[in-house]
Amino acid sequence: MQEVVRTPMVPVRAEIVKIVPETPDTKTFYFRVQGGLVEAPKPGQFTEVYVPGVGEAPVSICGLEDGILVQTVRSVGALTDYLFKMREGDLVGIRGPYGKGWPIEKLAGKDVLIVAGGIGLAPLRGVILEVERNRGKYGKLTILYGARTPSLLLYRYEFDRYREIPNTEFLLTVDHPDETWRYHVGVVTELIPMARIDVERTIALVCGPEIMMRFTVKALEQIGFKENQIYFSLERRMKCGIGLCGHCQVGPYFVCRHGPVFPYWLIKKYFWVDEI
Amino acid sequence: MIFADQVLFRGSVYSGVEDDLKSLFNVAVSRGYRVIGPKLVNSVIRLEQLNDFNEIPYGYGDKQAPGYYRVVNNGGRFRHGPDSPKRFLYPPELLLFIIRPDLSVEYPRFEFYKTAFFGIKPCDLAAINVMDGVQGELGDEYYRKVRENLLLIVENCVEPGDTCFCATMGTGPFAFKGFDVAYTRVGSGVVIFQPGSDLGVDILSELSLRPAEDEQVDFLRNLMLDASKKARAEFTLENLPETLEMGLDSEVYRKIAERCFGCANCNMVCPTCFCFDVIDEPELDGSAKRIRIWDGCHSYSYAQVAGGHFRKSLYARYRHWVLHKFVYWIRQFGTFGCVGCGRCITWCPAGIDLRQVVRDVVKEVETRCRR
Ligand SMILES: Cc1cc2nc3c(=O)[nH]c(=O)nc-3n(C[C@H](O)[C@H](O)[C@H](O)COP(=O)(O)OP(=O)(O)OC[C@H]3O[C@@H](n4cnc5c(N)ncnc54)[C@H](O)[C@@H]3O)c2cc1C
Ligand code: SF4
Ligand code: SF4
Ligand code: FES
Repeated sequence: MQEVVRTPMVPVRAEIVKIVPETPDTKTFYFRVQGGLVEAPKPGQFTEVYVPGVGEAPVSICGLEDGILVQTVRSVGALTDYLFKMREGDLVGIRGPYGKGWPIEKLAGKDVLIVAGGIGLAPLRGVILEVERNRGKYGKLTILYGARTPSLLLYRYEFDRYREIPNTEFLLTVDHPDETWRYHVGVVTELIPMARIDVERTIALVCGPEIMMRFTVKALEQIGFKENQIYFSLERRMKCGIGLCGHCQVGPYFVCRHGPVFPYWLIKKYFWVDEI
Repeated sequence: MIFADQVLFRGSVYSGVEDDLKSLFNVAVSRGYRVIGPKLVNSVIRLEQLNDFNEIPYGYGDKQAPGYYRVVNNGGRFRHGPDSPKRFLYPPELLLFIIRPDLSVEYPRFEFYKTAFFGIKPCDLAAINVMDGVQGELGDEYYRKVRENLLLIVENCVEPGDTCFCATMGTGPFAFKGFDVAYTRVGSGVVIFQPGSDLGVDILSELSLRPAEDEQVDFLRNLMLDASKKARAEFTLENLPETLEMGLDSEVYRKIAERCFGCANCNMVCPTCFCFDVIDEPELDGSAKRIRIWDGCHSYSYAQVAGGHFRKSLYARYRHWVLHKFVYWIRQFGTFGCVGCGRCITWCPAGIDLRQVVRDVVKEVETRCRR
């Protein structure tokens, strides 16, 4: 007798309801997932986005607005290029949310320091919005954000909104400025000594290219941050998103299941080993 | 380490002859099992579905060495070839579902058979236990459906091959737990049988055997001791994970990378490697098949991402393989990821010997610590 075999790796139908261009190679997609997500996503979690006939890619969740999933995608390869050509009304598949997000509960009563590079702001956007929504719960919010050029900064249309969150310091930097650039020039770690940070009462959340995260962790340690005050979100090749396919391992950890957000102390040993 | 006395409960060791093996095979068939066992295909001993006991190439032997495999018709004993039970429990290619342009999904249907593995080796039995640990609660449904209806008939190894190190890994050369029936061809046509489960007792009781004589049990014990001495690597499991982890930066990996091709043959023949990729196979009507295929950590693209690469260097990919098998696996699934079957050694085109790699890293770390 034949039996049906099911897999947890099956996408749910989702409609693209809005597309917002961010940078020359990045767009924010608003997905209406049929039947809604299985659970409310937490900032820092991700989904697997499926493009029919092309494949799947892990993408961070940047927000949930009236039940609509918000995700920002940079076009870098086969699948993301294809997604870029899609329009409002087109269908994709979504499964998730997966992984551990940022330690929102641990941030209560603390100052929150966000250090983001390039598209690394996407998974952190949810934290900024959470602080805005429940302003009284958290201490000072510091956002340090850098990109290669001004045109590569995400969410520029929201920057004023971030600045208006009470008790917030928002510093920007780029490597290569244009004529209109009024802020800092240099790598994002240079912003750390410029910000007013009360190390004792701060939790740092870091996301960006791996090399940027390494320099950031060093810079934070230099001003007194301990291993248990730093969290970062790691990127690895992913195929399943749920700890089955093996691809995303960092040491004994599956980034998809045990991360992608890790406390620094948990993986310190592997973090500094090249190509581990 | 498996000790002979753990394996030999005198009361349940039975003696028979080679014809009884045939009867055992036929009992499995009569009970509706699809029997999978060793078969000679294109000069290689594969695991295939068998219709007849005589398809098992008893009387053939093999020669295995790093990067070397030959079957010889010399009246000797053959060991496991490149296939392991993984091929049947966790197929190299599996259709996950078909997805249509409107994103509706159709799950596949498969025929599931009661499956008897006949004459697999203790290391492959152990590999099934290791896979059980990996599949755990999240377990693959296909795996579970095959696994539920297995009959495991294990042939103990009197003459381990030259690439075997099951005795070091504590998985052989004699079956210790998790089997239904184990048998040992002790020579002169005599076969010793042992039941290992209720099902095993039930199946064996259809045969007509005798309790083994005390001398036979003692003889078997000596065979076990001799075989265990052969199937060894030059390292022990004592503190192995800790030691290897102290050698993350070992030069040994870089040396090996000069020889390794990154072909991932080792991953493909390994009875426990579980990594997979999922690919889309588009159909003419616009739907797509999502297919799971084996992937291996040695292949170039394994840790490659758009615009970057987390393990571009071969040494790092080789190191990951060693660390996963002997370090991470324990933390992830509670067992070593290696059962010492030696397939990755035999089937490596560069003849790289995993036993030497582990030994050399351990040595390097120990020397460093002494200094
Ligand atoms: C936890 C997590 C969150 C992410 N969040 C975002 C995000 O918010 N926005 C965004 O633009 N990108 C994000 N990425 C990166 C994004 O997944 C890759 O850019 C994307 O997979 C590239 O797919 P592709 O098919 O276009 O590229 P190709 O190079 O054609 O990739 C082929 C396949 O390899 C795998 N792959 C390739 N690159 C990556 C990668 N960087 N990470 C994981 N798997 C990869 C995927 O399975 C992909 O389908 C995230 C990655 C991870 C691991
Ligand atoms: S790593 Fe090599 S010796 Fe160990 S189980 Fe896999 S193939 Fe066999
Ligand atoms: S160790 Fe051997 S089998 Fe494995 S990838 Fe390298 S060359 Fe191929
Ligand atoms: S993405 Fe498959 S195990 Fe993490």
